[in-house]
Amino acid sequence: MGLYVVGVTIFLLAPLVFPMIISFSSGSRIEFPPPGFSLQWYKAAWANELFLAGAVTSLIIAAITTAISIVAGTAAAIAINHYRFAGRSLVQVVLMLPLALPAIVKGLGVLFVLPSYHMSQGMAATVLSHCTMCIPYVAYLVLASLASYDITLEQASANLGASRSRTFFRITLPLIKPGIVAGGVFAFLMSFDNISLSLFTSNGDTLPLRLMQHIQHQEDPAVAAVSSVLVLVALVVMVMFGRVLRESQLGALKTSSPE
Amino acid sequence: MSYAYKLRRTAPWLWLAPAIAIFIPFFIIPIAVVVRNSFNVDDPLALMVSDFTLINYRNVITDPYYYRVIFNSLWVSAAITLGTLLIGYPFAYFLVRRAKRSLIFPLWAIYTPLVVSIIVRAFGWIVITADSGLINAALLSVGLVHEPVKILFEVEGMMVAMVHRYLPLMVIPLVNALSRIDTQLYSASLNLGASDQRTFWKITVPLSLPGFVAGTQLVFAVVLSDFVIPSLLGSTRFRMLAPVVYEAAMIRVAWANAAALASVMLLIVVTMLVTSTLTYRRLAPWARGL
Repeated sequence: MGLYVVGVTIFLLAPLVFPMIISFSSGSRIEFPPPGFSLQWYKAAWANELFLAGAVTSLIIAAITTAISIVAGTAAAIAINHYRFAGRSLVQVVLMLPLALPAIVKGLGVLFVLPSYHMSQGMAATVLSHCTMCIPYVAYLVLASLASYDITLEQASANLGASRSRTFFRITLPLIKPGIVAGGVFAFLMSFDNISLSLFTSNGDTLPLRLMQHIQHQEDPAVAAVSSVLVLVALVVMVMFGRVLRESQLGALKTSSPE
Repeated sequence: MSYAYKLRRTAPWLWLAPAIAIFIPFFIIPIAVVVRNSFNVDDPLALMVSDFTLINYRNVITDPYYYRVIFNSLWVSAAITLGTLLIGYPFAYFLVRRAKRSLIFPLWAIYTPLVVSIIVRAFGWIVITADSGLINAALLSVGLVHEPVKILFEVEGMMVAMVHRYLPLMVIPLVNALSRIDTQLYSASLNLGASDQRTFWKITVPLSLPGFVAGTQLVFAVVLSDFVIPSLLGSTRFRMLAPVVYEAAMIRVAWANAAALASVMLLIVVTMLVTSTLTYRRLAPWARGL
């Protein structure tokens, strides 16, 4: 049984580890064992303007998406947690619905409606479509942290003469911060890595799309270098936020979202 | 109506306003438009023409090419769901039952791929399975084969990568469900004379049902609509639904055709989710409180 766990663990990690080995290869193509050690592929990746520009585009899209999703998702979670109103259960279902429906259908739909909004494919369309996928994550994670939130604290604050906004910023916000942080990290990762929506809404200039086009044409070890950097970033995120993400039940949800 | 009462009624909608302002134009209307466009007609000379016909659905059902694509996708979804379940259940069971410090590492191994870009994971499989990749280098050097074995761009290679991609989505709900089981039930069952095996089938399996249902629903739906793995690792002789939808919309610019294919995908996913949830509630009403 122990052997089985080791086997599955190796299976899970192998595709993350072997590109790293190739990324340090001095050879001119993907080959095992690598003929020698060199940093040439990191230089090549860094010199590739398409990768660099793609990374900048993806970072901007992910940052704006995260900011909007945090505000809209947190506000929606407060509405659901603090109030009982007609249509509340419908709102709950619709809020989580984007995670249950295939992203490729959503992306196609956004492509169809853009002309009637006088928009074209690009950053704005991509950010707004990513938001429909990231708001549910933020709302879900903030709702989870609101579950242990004592609403009488707000009444106490009001009784002591604090204004509504002061109560919100001094009481509510600090207490639900873990959920907001987890939601924000998650929204950023999901947006940065998104393909199925960006395919239809962007100009094909995000990093994942650029890498995908590149891989389809050649087996370039420079992609291994980019991969290794992305794995490293993911590991840093895991170390920094792993506990928050795990405790917030990210697993139950990460991709309740089909592509 | 007093001012306070009015405020109380409008307050939740004010909090919801930002989410609604994004959801209606960029989620609800687009999904509705996909379904609506599936009844339009593609004009070979221009963009699609507004109409109300079932011709696109007839094409999808009668054309052997589309019929094949839908069948392929359903078959692969079922196979990957079964595969991740068979590999994932023992793995999750072991992680939960033998929870020791040494198992922190396998738990990390489950979560790490989730935060790594899917392109990186797909590229990892290219490095491993390509003609000059790890597996073929090993087989050739040992002398087991004289020609590289074709794995990349074959259905089998694609399915291995899919099992890898979606295994965490099966394992995590199972771990959540299994770790919620009261361990005293195991001792009680054993004290009452049940064998380990009987305890497993009568206690562990029924109580892990919520994780099983969540995991299988999740994996089936995501495999059916997977775009990246079939595009990067799949075979051109074995097409899957999502890349075909993309090609219809963006390369052939046959929007009504793409809309019909997407609507079929939507219908399959929604039908699967609804029927499996209803069956689950019907057959295991006791599981709702778990």
